[in-house]
Amino acid sequence: MQITGMLYGARLLQFTDFPCAEVLGPDASEEEIKGLIERHGSVFVKPLFKGGVGKKGKAGLIGRAADLKSALAEKERLYFVEHRHGQQVAKANGVTFEGAVPAEHEIYFSITDSTHFRAPTMTLTHRGGMDIEELDKAQVAQVPFDSLTGLKAFVVANALADIGAPKQIISPLVQHLPRLWELFHDFGMTTLELNPIRMRADRRGRLKPVACDFKCGFDRDDPRWHRLKLPAHLFAADYSDFEQEINQLRTHQGQSDVYVINERGSILAPTFGGGANSLVTEMLGDDAIISSDFGGNPPYEKMKAVAAICFKHWLRQANVLFIIGGKSNNTDIFETFRAMADALREHFSQHGPTPLYVVAGRGGPNLVRGMGMLRDTCEALGLPYRLFGFDSAMSEVVDYAREANQWMQGAGRQLVAERLGVAAAA
Amino acid sequence: MYKQGIGEFKYFVGISSLAQVATREDRVCVLNILGGESSEVTPVGHAWSGGNVVFGTSPGRRGQVLETPAGDIPVYNSVREGLDDGHAFNCGVVYLPPAAARDGVAELIRVNPGLRKVFIITEKIAVHDAREIRAMGQANGIDIFGANCLGVADSWNRVRIGGALGGDSPGDTLKPGSIAILSNSGGFTTTIAQYLRMAGWGTTTLVSSGKDVYIHYAAPEFAFALANDARSRAAVLYCEPGGFYEREAHFTKPVVACVVGRWKGRLTRAVGHAGAMAGGHDDAAAKEAWFMDKFGVDGLYTPENPVFSAKGAVVTNIAHIPAALTAVMRANATLPDFAPEGSMELKPWFGGNPGIRLPPALDLPAVKAIAPYDAQIAALAGQVGAVFPRQAMKDASGASQMDAATQISSLHGVSMLDAAQAPFEANVCLALLRERGGDNDGKLVNVAVGALLGLHGSPALAAAQAARDAGNAPNAVIAAALAIVGPRAAEASRALLCRLVDAFAAAGLKDAGDADFELADIDADGSLRAACRAAAPDPLAELLLAGLAARGARSVFVRFLQQGDGPPSADAVLAAIAATLAWGPLMRKRISRLTVDHLPWWLRLLATALGASADAARHAPGRFCGIALEALVVGHDLADFAHLALLGSLPGDSARGALQTLLGLLLSNGPGTISAQGAKGAVSADGPETPERVQLNKALLGALTHTGYAHGGNGFEGVAFLIERFRDCALADPADREHGLDLAAMARAYAADYADYKAARKAAGSADLRKIPGVNHPVFKDKPVNHDPRERFVHRLLAARGEYNVFHDYYLQLVQALHDGGVSRTVYCVNIDAVIAALLLGMTWQAWRDDELPAAALEQGAFAVFLFARLAGCAAEIEDHLNRGRNMDTRTPASRCQHVA
Repeated sequence: MQITGMLYGARLLQFTDFPCAEVLGPDASEEEIKGLIERHGSVFVKPLFKGGVGKKGKAGLIGRAADLKSALAEKERLYFVEHRHGQQVAKANGVTFEGAVPAEHEIYFSITDSTHFRAPTMTLTHRGGMDIEELDKAQVAQVPFDSLTGLKAFVVANALADIGAPKQIISPLVQHLPRLWELFHDFGMTTLELNPIRMRADRRGRLKPVACDFKCGFDRDDPRWHRLKLPAHLFAADYSDFEQEINQLRTHQGQSDVYVINERGSILAPTFGGGANSLVTEMLGDDAIISSDFGGNPPYEKMKAVAAICFKHWLRQANVLFIIGGKSNNTDIFETFRAMADALREHFSQHGPTPLYVVAGRGGPNLVRGMGMLRDTCEALGLPYRLFGFDSAMSEVVDYAREANQWMQGAGRQLVAERLGVAAAA
Repeated sequence: MYKQGIGEFKYFVGISSLAQVATREDRVCVLNILGGESSEVTPVGHAWSGGNVVFGTSPGRRGQVLETPAGDIPVYNSVREGLDDGHAFNCGVVYLPPAAARDGVAELIRVNPGLRKVFIITEKIAVHDAREIRAMGQANGIDIFGANCLGVADSWNRVRIGGALGGDSPGDTLKPGSIAILSNSGGFTTTIAQYLRMAGWGTTTLVSSGKDVYIHYAAPEFAFALANDARSRAAVLYCEPGGFYEREAHFTKPVVACVVGRWKGRLTRAVGHAGAMAGGHDDAAAKEAWFMDKFGVDGLYTPENPVFSAKGAVVTNIAHIPAALTAVMRANATLPDFAPEGSMELKPWFGGNPGIRLPPALDLPAVKAIAPYDAQIAALAGQVGAVFPRQAMKDASGASQMDAATQISSLHGVSMLDAAQAPFEANVCLALLRERGGDNDGKLVNVAVGALLGLHGSPALAAAQAARDAGNAPNAVIAAALAIVGPRAAEASRALLCRLVDAFAAAGLKDAGDADFELADIDADGSLRAACRAAAPDPLAELLLAGLAARGARSVFVRFLQQGDGPPSADAVLAAIAATLAWGPLMRKRISRLTVDHLPWWLRLLATALGASADAARHAPGRFCGIALEALVVGHDLADFAHLALLGSLPGDSARGALQTLLGLLLSNGPGTISAQGAKGAVSADGPETPERVQLNKALLGALTHTGYAHGGNGFEGVAFLIERFRDCALADPADREHGLDLAAMARAYAADYADYKAARKAAGSADLRKIPGVNHPVFKDKPVNHDPRERFVHRLLAARGEYNVFHDYYLQLVQALHDGGVSRTVYCVNIDAVIAALLLGMTWQAWRDDELPAAALEQGAFAVFLFARLAGCAAEIEDHLNRGRNMDTRTPASRCQHVA
């Protein structure tokens, strides 16, 4: 849930009257672009990516043009450009045109929550416009502040003094930067970064900060960002159809954080607890279809709905249904297993049987009743199964599930399919 | 702005030793104590901790209490009210929803000057609120644990505060020892304690830290308090990616750190735990490096490559924690706290390979679970049969379904086309037992129903006859008889059946036909055998036993009855037959105990429906339609009984084939049909959640009242149509291919008549045309030549049997003639109603021709065949609904009802 770039950044900054570079979107007319170039001398042309994509400048993905023809050429080059950054590959869909802001000083500014200070922390340097990691620490101020009082002018002033910032930039920054706290804190952000802020001189030589790039992340557990009325498609790229469907069930009661690991995986593993999730997904690797954490004592209806969605999307291709968690503290095993068993039974009723090996490892309240329920369902559906208690090491159970998967990939799937009287193919 | 605490922290920390985290002196106030999670876990923690919760809050619920094994906990509207009432506490536990958690912390801090610790269980708290919670705690000198955690526990003090560490039986996991635990995962806090215990290590203080961005009680202060806790000799840390907390911790005692989440490095956004973002300098790889640096090791500890020092070891799999800890402690010359309590190797508690040969590595036998789970599993094994989840069953069925595309219905997975090829007794088994059963099952059903057919002198027959004489249709006649066969009719059999099932399930019977099953150990005190004995020889019992013997039916239960020292009662024999029928499906968990209990009643109801369909004049002592019951139980089946009831005679081969086909085809048409709706409504009204109150006979009455001339009796329309066409021709045998009729000419003539009729109606300006019964179908239309797949199926079936039906043949000619004559744009299909009419008329033509059967009786006969089949199908719906449904679940909400002016 991130936003990068000035197209939406400029709109957000308006909430706090923070000056920013003039920006046009991908649907800007040639006259508008021409006018922008005339007003600012030149424009930056930047590809539009959904979500957070960094290091565009380094990748040569920022064009600059001083005339309409070059601006349109850059638009053509960058409109659908692909950007590879680490594991991520993003494809642009559109460009922005941003009026250039000539300036002597470039500022880096960010607010985020620091686990080092355990407080909201401002990072500030007058050597901005480049990677903050590349700077000498003495030139960068990292200052925690009190969240109840917020980012105060004196905090900014002291920080600029500490890093030896040029005195002509101190006053305008002290006036403007504290406003960004309100944008950060009141709209559910977890991080806000402006880099660079360029210090533009007015006719009398007085400097004014102008935000020239924007990046922020939102907390999806905080409804405050809904106040911004941002279009839903901004975050849509983050989620597959399956994830969107299942995450609609996300409430504080019972977690349902789900992520697709491998669309061609063959082990469908509903896991319970963040710890189990980490362990299991790490050991299953690409065999896992999804990463999930369904812990937190989900009620029956929710667990059944979640399982039904998982089954609808993935059961056909799965070799192993692997229900796994540690010894739960308050998650009722009977309720959760009953819900999954019922969802499985209903899935078979509606979509027909599919070859499957069921493996479960679990501990917690009502364990034996829950396992009994799952056993009965497997028996009724004619599926091979093994159910392990918490006295079997979870990693051993994971290995067992992987072994079952390998067997299914070999002769097993065909054998189970024959038993069910269906075709083996996924 | 923070209050100065202990140590040299640049933030407030109030706890100097882990021994202070959860003590017997702590007194607790729980916010939202009556919430879903708290109301489950607070009573357990309260009782285990010696009653440490002084009160809870829940706005608007002052005066209520939370019941616990250690006494009631009072509930107030607010913290202030509780304090005003004289309660004092130093620990606050927050179970509020995420949006309210921050305000809850503020309430605790501002209202109670005695507050020292806050435990926040709530998950998904906005970072915005976490920031402010942190600031409030710091400014006021409060130690906060969490959020998104499961609280803390102390095995030595036998105290847990907030959350649910140790689950519903904390003592099972939390055994005093020397190891402290700090875990990002609440679930793994308990799991790790369990793993340690298996390896001989007990615990001191367990802290579930939570895993939000803000972890209020984290590794640095844990390390500080660990150093000052004399009980703790070492610690286990469970760490996930995200946050620099562990880097800042300085340990003075040995530590095993389990760092997980390397796979998250491949991800691009938070997954699972909110703080676990990838790609920073605080990812799993970084954390592994921090710990390796602290411990002075250069690798991860694995069983194959055990890398550790006296300071500690790093593992990435929690299963390796116990071994790593033991190794590290050995380097510190320290042995485990107690003897290991078990191993962590694979131990399946349950397993099954339904007829599939698994490779040895997978084919692990189920092993005995650790106590107390072994006893629970043993108790579970004593329960036989399926248990179905209850849900609203309006318009839903676990028994039947109709495929809207093919219009073919199925019952318990068997299509009506397949059912049409099976004997009626197999379909009765399918309806009642969810499986068609085998040859032996067919024998048992035929004997039981045949013996119960004789209704001479019974009130049921008298009621049926009175209804018949009053001019009622067959549904009302049968209903009158069934209304008499109430719960008491099968009460005695049911009670005996219940005892038989209990006794043989306990003895481990697998196959009810097992001739070698040892009976000596059953019923050691002889009370069951005594209950099965009749005071005097019982003719019905003898009839049943004679039938079973003559047919060579196998039954362990009947053998058991015959071992007694006196003649068994008829109720006992019926119970034994029912137990034999039910045993396989029951052991395979296809059916519930409830369904088994109902079987004797169902057999009686079925026999009564067939028997009462014959006029009372055809009943005589020991005889039905002129045939001795002794002969019926020995050599006849349900199709014979049905034919006798309908026409008073035994069927020929052709009629038997036709009847069997009809009884299968008409079994069910899905839960949406009116008859099924009637049956389900009747069950729903009795209340399936108290299934013993559901009257099976009344439920069948529901089905019967929901049949009628339009539903079920409509076979007559086709019959009437065919009679009209064939009335004047010299047809002797409809099954004779050489009938000598020019069917094509007859069809052309009718098509021409119909074309004239249609033209005349059109000329008169009327669009309301009389339909030809048995042709065309709303689904199977619009192709140049259309077919109803069910008709095609029956056509192939008859051909395969070498049988012929002239009426069916006529219909096929008719649809072609209608097209050729310009009446229809396409060649209509011959639909299933036409097939039913053709088969019925084929069976009854002779009797009608010979004036033995009036035309009205043909209608009755057509209707009765439908009822026989559908009663079996509805019995399946009734069983399904009373096993799965909820009370009054078929009602339609007022909002979905319409008023018509």
